[in-house]
Amino acid sequence: MRPRIERQILALFLSLMAVQAADIQGLIVIKHKLTRRSVTAPAGSYQRGRAVELDSAGVDDPLSYERAHVAIYLDGELSSAPSAATIEQRNRAFFPDMVLIPAGSTVSFPNLDVIFHNVFSLSAPKTFDLGNYSRGQTRTVIFPKPGIVFVNCRLHPNMSAVIVVSPNSVATMAGRDGRFVLPGVPPGRHMVVAWHKAAGFFRQSVQVGPGGAANVQFFIPIEEGGRPQSVAQR
Amino acid sequence: MRFGTRILLGSFVSATLLLIGSFFAVQSLVVATVRNGLRSTLRETQLAVARMGSKSEDKSRRVLRVIGESAALKAGLQLMRAEADRSEARLTLEDQLHEICNILTCDFLLMSSPGGAPLAGVLREENRVIPMDLGIGQPPLRGFYSLGPSTYQVTSVPVDQGGENIGILAIGEHIDFSGFGAPVVLSHNGKVVASYLVGIEGWEIDAALKPCGQQPECMVLLHRESYLAMRMNGQYVGDGYSLHSFQNISAALAPVKASLQRVFLLTSLAGLLAALILSVFLSRSMVKPLARLMVHLRKCVTTGMLTELDGQPSPIQEIRELTGSLNRAAVSVREGREKLGLAYLEFVESMANALDARDPYTAGHSRRVSGHACAIGQAMNFPAKDLDEIRIGALLHDIGKIGIADSVLQKPGKLTRAEFALIQEHPGIGRQILAGVNGFQPYLQTVELHHENWDGTGYPKGLRGTETPLPARIVHVVDAYDAMTSDRPYRRGMSPESAVRQIVDNAGTQFDPAVVELFADLPGIRLACQRGALVQSHSSSSMAALAEAVSGSTESNVTHSVEGKNR
Repeated sequence: MRPRIERQILALFLSLMAVQAADIQGLIVIKHKLTRRSVTAPAGSYQRGRAVELDSAGVDDPLSYERAHVAIYLDGELSSAPSAATIEQRNRAFFPDMVLIPAGSTVSFPNLDVIFHNVFSLSAPKTFDLGNYSRGQTRTVIFPKPGIVFVNCRLHPNMSAVIVVSPNSVATMAGRDGRFVLPGVPPGRHMVVAWHKAAGFFRQSVQVGPGGAANVQFFIPIEEGGRPQSVAQR
Repeated sequence: MRFGTRILLGSFVSATLLLIGSFFAVQSLVVATVRNGLRSTLRETQLAVARMGSKSEDKSRRVLRVIGESAALKAGLQLMRAEADRSEARLTLEDQLHEICNILTCDFLLMSSPGGAPLAGVLREENRVIPMDLGIGQPPLRGFYSLGPSTYQVTSVPVDQGGENIGILAIGEHIDFSGFGAPVVLSHNGKVVASYLVGIEGWEIDAALKPCGQQPECMVLLHRESYLAMRMNGQYVGDGYSLHSFQNISAALAPVKASLQRVFLLTSLAGLLAALILSVFLSRSMVKPLARLMVHLRKCVTTGMLTELDGQPSPIQEIRELTGSLNRAAVSVREGREKLGLAYLEFVESMANALDARDPYTAGHSRRVSGHACAIGQAMNFPAKDLDEIRIGALLHDIGKIGIADSVLQKPGKLTRAEFALIQEHPGIGRQILAGVNGFQPYLQTVELHHENWDGTGYPKGLRGTETPLPARIVHVVDAYDAMTSDRPYRRGMSPESAVRQIVDNAGTQFDPAVVELFADLPGIRLACQRGALVQSHSSSSMAALAEAVSGSTESNVTHSVEGKNR
């Protein structure tokens, strides 16, 4: 109980400090594709054979997809406000396939397909199995510990999603152009963590001065002088 | 039937029979050969189908074993068990099968419960995978399965979890029997489900195959063409299904038969023509000489004379012998006839001699009369036959005197009226005597009428002119002449000159003037006609023509009677 109270006090303190907090602005630089992707046709409609456009969301640059799948957060005990997120099961896929939540948040998994789905995870931060459930049903899971949680469906091994549970609320997803802003960072030295499913963790130490912004740039993957950390090393 | 026809038929019919027989023998040989060829094609097809069947079965089973171990599929099966009453569960399993089938490009995929009840299935139709209607029946675990227009070869594996069987996964490979050497027909419980026999309806094949039963090889008739059907066996076929491969024997045989028939038709036409010509030639070579013999014999029948055949009608031994026999017979008949004629002549002569011998004064009378009459006949160019007639008629002219008493006949001096009447009966008696003798008919008139006068004053009938036949008129003249020149008991004979003069005087009254004229002109009154003269040939002037010529001659008015000297 004690560490929890301490943490709450710390959080309160940090939020007081946030008045003087600054933004960390950054850029994710990805020079080549990291993920091999294949076309996944919509499920349940029984309309196989219909042409499916790759990245029908309108991403013409494959590197945009990679950049948009990078989660950035600050390591360390900072203020955290649990939130709620939704991962739909639609067309035999999880949508969205990547969610970033601070620890303690709740994720709901509604099934919008006509067929049964099953949602489970064997990842260490949170193992769960929601069982088989059909259309219209929604089941929820709370993720109290930070970490990377991979979510799958027993019935459809192709379905996969990842939930990045950050230790605090100072976290964001990179934009398609790779730019991101971590707002409300208290002054001091911080460790900025970037995570990409295929490339792993990237860390950079940043000094945030009072009232001053900081810039950070991630080259993913690291060309030289280091290897990305695996999920286990985190 | 004629001989020629017989030979013709004999050779012709045997040649025809030989040709027909050989045609059928060769044809049956060809048919057997073709059938063996087709049988080997069927066997090859059978082997190829069997190879294809077991190969596809092996492949399917390997694939199924992998799919059957899919955790997702097992999870799907478990879901089916847990949510058996919900259609979404079946849809979920169906979707899984759909996914697998798409990846594998299989033709149908079916998951059944351990008891065999179908749970969910998909099948490919027009290159799209669609859900299977589970109400249509239960495919077998192994073997062929017909669904609509398609036929599948089904292989299945159990899906186990923890040693427990939770389902049966069956895969169906669409089978295509086309491209084999022989068309293949698949039947299920006696009903055709897949047929690669083009243009023949399934029910026709059903009906044709029905009598075959389980026979490995069977002849069937389809559309009036015979097919050889071979039944294939093998575990891949499955229960209730039978697979037959077909070969059209009729179609295979048709070109062979056609060429065979053409060749045989040509050779048989040529052979028959040759046989025809040969038999015609052969029969002619036999019949022609025989016909010549026949014509000759027929001529002999009409003429009444059996004559020899000139030359040799044929080189054939038998016909030569026949001709020889005929000729020998003709010779002997002719010789016999000649001998008979000779004997007959001698008999007639001796009869005449016997008559003449009754009276020394009339000795040699008949012979002389005959000789003179013959001479006149010769002068008139009588043919040999008529000469003979007149010679013998003249020889016998007084034969009737046999029936006259010697007292009358040899009476010296004048005869009484009654006696003369008796004398006048001798031509009638002579006729009566000779009428009974066969072959003496030609002489009867000469004997009966040799005392008729030209003017109708003669006896016995009192005929006038040419009413009396010419031979009788001639004999009348020469008889008078001989009587006048012969001695009688009561007088001496006249000199020939005065006798001729007397006759000439009586020409036209008592005698035929034409005959008298010829008689008077004879070179001496002598025996001009000897027996040998008979065989001499004469010119063709007929007796009728002569008689006409004689009757047309001028009549002389001779009134003097010579009857007294001519009795």
